Amino acid sequence: MVRELTSFFVAVFSVLYIYQVALLAENPGSYDQYLTLVRNPFMIGFSIIILGFTLYHSLTWFYLIGRVQPLKIGGKETTPGQSLIVNTVLLLIISIVVISLFLVGK
Amino acid sequence: MSRLSVAARLHALLWGVFSIGGFIAAFLLPVLIYVNNIAYPLGLWPVTSKDPTRLLVTDQIVTSLLVFVTVAGSLFHGVFRFQTTLGELGLKKYEDKIIAIGYAIIEVGICALLYYLLFLNPSCVRVLTPH
Repeated sequence: MVRELTSFFVAVFSVLYIYQVALLAENPGSYDQYLTLVRNPFMIGFSIIILGFTLYHSLTWFYLIGRVQPLKIGGKETTPGQSLIVNTVLLLIISIVVISLFLVGK
Repeated sequence: MSRLSVAARLHALLWGVFSIGGFIAAFLLPVLIYVNNIAYPLGLWPVTSKDPTRLLVTDQIVTSLLVFVTVAGSLFHGVFRFQTTLGELGLKKYEDKIIAIGYAIIEVGICALLYYLLFLNPSCVRVLTPH
C-alpha cells in the first residue's frame, strides 16, 4: 500500500511541473517569482521528499517487474532482486545520458 | 475465441498505458526532479546558473519531446494509481467521482502540457505541420 501511495508524489510533481511550464509560456514575471519559490529551503526540502518517494516508487517497480515477468536466461528464471539491480543500473545510465546530452555545458 | 466488451478493452488499454507511464516515471522522472528542483536551486552538478526547464523546453525538439513523454507519462501513471488506491482505502462509494476527477486532471494536464510545449518551441509545430 505504501508503494501505491507514493504515486501521489509522482502526480504532484507532474502537476507542479506543468504549472511551471505554463508560467514560463504565459507570464515571464510570475515565472521568475516561481523560480524564487523553487529556491526556498522549504521547497527544496519538499522536493527532496518528492525525489525520495519517486525513487522508492521506481525501485519497487523494478522489483515488481522481476516478480511478475521473470526472464528465462539459460533455462533459469531471473529473480526480482536481479531485476532490481539491473534496472537500477539502467536508471543511473539513463539519468547520466540525459544530463550529459542535454544539460552539461549548456 | 472470446470477444471482449468495449469496456473491458478500454480497461485493458488504460492499464497498458498505466504500465508504459510506470516505466517512463521510473526511469526518467527522478533525473528531472533532481535537475529542476534540487540541483538548480542548490547550484549542484550539472546545473550552474541556467534554469534547466527553460533549456529543456525552448532549446531542441528532442528535449521538448523528452519533457512531454516524461511528464505526461508520469501524470497518467501517478493519478491513475492514486485514484485506484483511494478506492481501496475505503472511499469506494466515491469511486465514480474520484475516477472522473482523476481523468479530468490527466486530460487537462496532458493537453495543457502539449499546448505550452508547442507554444514555447514553435519548431515542434513546423515539424508536425505537413509541407
